[in-house]
Amino acid sequence: MTFDLIVQFGLALFELPFREGYVSSIIYVSLYVSLAAVALSTLFSIPVALVVGLTDFPGKQFVKSVINTGMGFPSVVVGLIVLFAVSNQGPLGSLELIFTKQAMIMSQFVLATPPITAISLAAVTGVDESVRDAARALGGTRFDVALVVVKEARYGIATAVLAGFGRAISEVGSVLIVGGNITGADGISKTRTLTTAIQLEARQGQYETAMVLGAVLVALVLTVNAVVVRFGDRGVQR
Amino acid sequence: MLRASEVTKAYGTDPVFDGLSIDVDAGEVVAVIGPSGVGKTTLLGLLALSEEPDEGTVTLDGTNVWDADETKRLSLRRRVGMVFQEASLFDASVGRNVEYGLRVRRPWSDRLRNGVASLLGANSTTDAVRESLDVVGLADALDQHAGSLSGGEAQRVSFARALAYRPDVLLLDEPTSDLDPRNTAVIESAIDAARDRGIGVVVATHDMHQARRVADRVAVLLDHGITEMAPTEVVFEDPSDERTRQFINGELVY
Amino acid sequence: MTIQRRQFIAAIGAGAVASTAGCSQSAGGSGGGDESGSDAGTGAGVAGETLTLTTTTSTYDTGLLDEIHGDFEAMYGVSVDAVAQGTGAALESARNGDADVVMVHARGLEDEFMRNGYGINRRDLMFNDFVIIGPEGDPAGIQGMGSATDALTAIADAEATFVSRGDNSGTHTKELNLWEAAGTDPGGEWYQETGTGMGEALNIANQQGAYTLSDRGTYISQRSEIDLTILVQGPIESGPEILANPYGIMAVNPGVHDNANYDLAMAYIGWITSPSVQDAISEYQVNGEQLFFPEAVSEDPDFQQYVPEGWSSESTDE
Repeated sequence: MTFDLIVQFGLALFELPFREGYVSSIIYVSLYVSLAAVALSTLFSIPVALVVGLTDFPGKQFVKSVINTGMGFPSVVVGLIVLFAVSNQGPLGSLELIFTKQAMIMSQFVLATPPITAISLAAVTGVDESVRDAARALGGTRFDVALVVVKEARYGIATAVLAGFGRAISEVGSVLIVGGNITGADGISKTRTLTTAIQLEARQGQYETAMVLGAVLVALVLTVNAVVVRFGDRGVQR
Repeated sequence: MLRASEVTKAYGTDPVFDGLSIDVDAGEVVAVIGPSGVGKTTLLGLLALSEEPDEGTVTLDGTNVWDADETKRLSLRRRVGMVFQEASLFDASVGRNVEYGLRVRRPWSDRLRNGVASLLGANSTTDAVRESLDVVGLADALDQHAGSLSGGEAQRVSFARALAYRPDVLLLDEPTSDLDPRNTAVIESAIDAARDRGIGVVVATHDMHQARRVADRVAVLLDHGITEMAPTEVVFEDPSDERTRQFINGELVY
Repeated sequence: MTIQRRQFIAAIGAGAVASTAGCSQSAGGSGGGDESGSDAGTGAGVAGETLTLTTTTSTYDTGLLDEIHGDFEAMYGVSVDAVAQGTGAALESARNGDADVVMVHARGLEDEFMRNGYGINRRDLMFNDFVIIGPEGDPAGIQGMGSATDALTAIADAEATFVSRGDNSGTHTKELNLWEAAGTDPGGEWYQETGTGMGEALNIANQQGAYTLSDRGTYISQRSEIDLTILVQGPIESGPEILANPYGIMAVNPGVHDNANYDLAMAYIGWITSPSVQDAISEYQVNGEQLFFPEAVSEDPDFQQYVPEGWSSESTDE
């Protein structure tokens, strides 16, 4: 992989004691877990945002405050809850998810959903009611109108997804607890992410190495943001 | 073709209509006039088959709309088009906007296939879209973004959007009250074109001159009902109802 | 615009396909996955399985496990998930049945683990030792003392800054045992509990010119970066026995957790206590120094490694 070569070259500059494939494998795990969690969360959050934003139902205020509370919910607590759930003793124990990427995706799903839902909700309610009326009057079913609303709110929703991604990829505590920060004996990561690798280096007092990994993480987040924003800008230039 | 009979509607304790009847046939233009706030928009909502009357019936080609099941009602609703006072275009190109009504009426397999094709760069515009834009004189605005249009152009696109899927009935709610004379003229000639295609057009307007220009018949909405419904000149020259006469002459004080 | 958009979509599509490829890989390797069903009858019955081993952070951070596990994985065609959690968490995971085998260096806790029926087939694995390190200036004057407890008492009397792990790790447990044996209750501004890993704690001690108790391995790996020196040696360099740091390994009892991978756990214990691997352990070096001293292979019997310390058939506890 040329990416591996670039990373190796960069690391050689810093003379870091990493084995071949280590850094790209932890980048891969970080991206895989976060992107999967954000994708699943988006599939869940957008319909929820549409229902809460466009319809009336008893308990709507309660649902909104749950979403907002979720935004500030301490992530390490989410990790503990997922741990209890997937541990051998827990209700999902038979699925043997402890110390796997799947458990990490679960906990990041729980963390990413509140920001994605809340910001999408704001975007959805920000769509002019007259546009909704027009979509309906022109013969749209409720589903058609929902699609129109999503398209109208797409920039807000993109912001929401980016916010969720940011929260997911920066997560340390919960993915450490449920994932176990595991690499194979060959140095290839199984459940180690950039963030938990940073934590490991810091724990060992290797602060410089931790900083380099931190820079890689920041570069990754900036790249993803740039890609999404660029795609959105192209849409505007139409 | 589209008929509301003895309709009663109230919002809470506020009565809006009491025993109102109105009808529109294919190939004619009916103007609904009346003082502001009298309920023109609510009436159009009833005729658009999206608001249910408290009492009375609404029929399209003899079919009682609110007795029918949801699927049937959707297909009836889809034979009616509406243009609002504000253009309310979607954040997309003019072509995509006008195509909307056609899009939602296609079966899902077609919609998915077209959606994937357009994501991959295929760009197909149906003739119906081009044709409707022609009627409002905006055929070359096809690829322009809706946000770059002037107010008048946007309203014209809104008209084309409602026309593209060939509705049987077209409802217009104060379509030109925000427009300059030139765009107003374009809209009015588009109304003519729609009538010539056999569409039944209902225009709610506070502009009595416009009513005289475009309408075949005029319905006067006053006192929770239609006080007069007759050919245009009859209503303006020689209305049979006293209240109507007072309204036409500007003598009514609200 | 449309061409660029098309390329973007193609890139996303390729990424999606690539990620699903990764998905199936991870599904195959996830904890406890039993793919040997399809291999049954050909080769070792455990092939394709995953062994979950929980251990302490200081053990893992020495790099020993990454060095030797490759051989075990190749031998049996399995993979070992080494989870560095800290002593308490490692035992808790094993208690919950989330691990198959556990390797820690806290005899008291290991004994409790066995007494409660969670762990069986314990073996002494290896040992290293602890050292008391501190600033060269040595304000408490403990250099070269032959008694760790006297050294700690001296530090307490001098109220010299002392950094403690404060995290119920094996190292912290040993430190608390030492204070207790010295008859001193540490407290006050000079005694700082950090709640961090050993490497971080060394950095903190270094910055403050403080004393601390460290396992020899972590100290050796960080020696070049800090200004603290060994003031009281451990038994490896003829220091007091009380600073010994023995490691034990136990299998999770399949009688308690029937989904524990007992076969593979026993294969692992057998392998790591075998003469050749014990040799490999003794040959493992960090910064040119040996870190671990093997204990498993012995001519003379050592029954105490199999049972809680002090247990005999006449004693009252089960």
